[in-house]
Amino acid sequence: MTEHFRAFSFVDKIHRDETGERITGCYHIPAAVDCFPLSLVAESIGQLAAWSSMAAVGFEFRPVAGIAGQVEFAGVVKPGDTLELEATLVKADSEAVGYDGVARVNGEVVVRLQDCLGPMVPLIEFDDPESLKERYRLLTSDGAVPDAFQGVPEFFAEKTGGVPGETSEGTFHIPETAAFFGDHFPRRPVFPGTLLMNLNLGFTMDLVAEAGDGISKWKAVSMSDVKLRSFMPPGEILELKATVEERDLDRVRVIVETRKGKRLTSSARILLSRIVP
Amino acid sequence: MAIYPKVAEIIADALGCDEEEVQPESSLINDLDAESIDFLDIVFRLEREFKVKIPRGKAMEEARGELTEDEFEQKGVVTEAGIAKLRAYLTEVPADRIKPALKAAEIPKLFTTETFCKMVIREQKGA
Repeated sequence: MTEHFRAFSFVDKIHRDETGERITGCYHIPAAVDCFPLSLVAESIGQLAAWSSMAAVGFEFRPVAGIAGQVEFAGVVKPGDTLELEATLVKADSEAVGYDGVARVNGEVVVRLQDCLGPMVPLIEFDDPESLKERYRLLTSDGAVPDAFQGVPEFFAEKTGGVPGETSEGTFHIPETAAFFGDHFPRRPVFPGTLLMNLNLGFTMDLVAEAGDGISKWKAVSMSDVKLRSFMPPGEILELKATVEERDLDRVRVIVETRKGKRLTSSARILLSRIVP
Repeated sequence: MAIYPKVAEIIADALGCDEEEVQPESSLINDLDAESIDFLDIVFRLEREFKVKIPRGKAMEEARGELTEDEFEQKGVVTEAGIAKLRAYLTEVPADRIKPALKAAEIPKLFTTETFCKMVIREQKGA
């Protein structure tokens, strides 16, 4: 069975699309998956905005992950939840989609995106335009059959060095094959930026835990200044570096960067807070 | 140039560098290591801050003036007439940086902080 619209697609239904301006929809997290990280909730909002922007340019271009000014992790989600999604587009043309967005569960905000910008690329190089148009028609009418998503593997970077509690260095080998590559994207597989986001969160958590008292636990509050500078194809090897930028008793801000060789390929700031027992 | 401090702040934020590093004559690519995604970021931030639209390729179009594309560049190299147009348009860029046989793809390397200020002012006037 094809992985297209199954392995990495997170919009089940579009309720209303004021094309290129505002879009609302929903996604039901399959109850059978082990977990659904908040980075995939952010992906879900981004995909919703992508549908509206692709419709705005007649499906000649599609956006790819680029910049997120602020990603706020405001709640939690669990398998079986339904995400209510909303995105407000401030720009949707052949150059880029610019948007803010939010995901709610039972009316409560779980993830909020601000000042996001996705560069447009020629759609035909990444996917089949007719398939996408057909999918858009489905999402804006009956909606897709839910529960197609079967989860993604959890990825970890291999730690290679650093100063405990201050910096951490590591390596991540993007897999050669994975089901999500069949959906992201069928004609040109690319490792999703939101999976890199999740990898970076885990890498940062480990760094902060090293400097702790061994008891305290930390949670991600937000990511900011997220910038993806290049596509990450299957098989690529990335070097990661996380550096503590600011710290007090209850909060830590970390800069995390990835490089391919000497070239900076992504960067972001991550804010963590201590979980009060 | 009243908008300069805000433009410099936006460029520094987008590139993650100190504002002191951003000078009016700084080439964004050569001096500040900007890449294409940074240009997109900077233009997006400028559009939101100053409530203007800066369409892609607008600067190139304006620089070319009345010249046709063929008159402006041949096989990816800016013609003599094109060089003259660029020098007249990018007055903020030292003339010796706009060398004969310049490749068209390298024109963005000429863009400075002041170039972006001028883009915003032109769009504000045109609005």
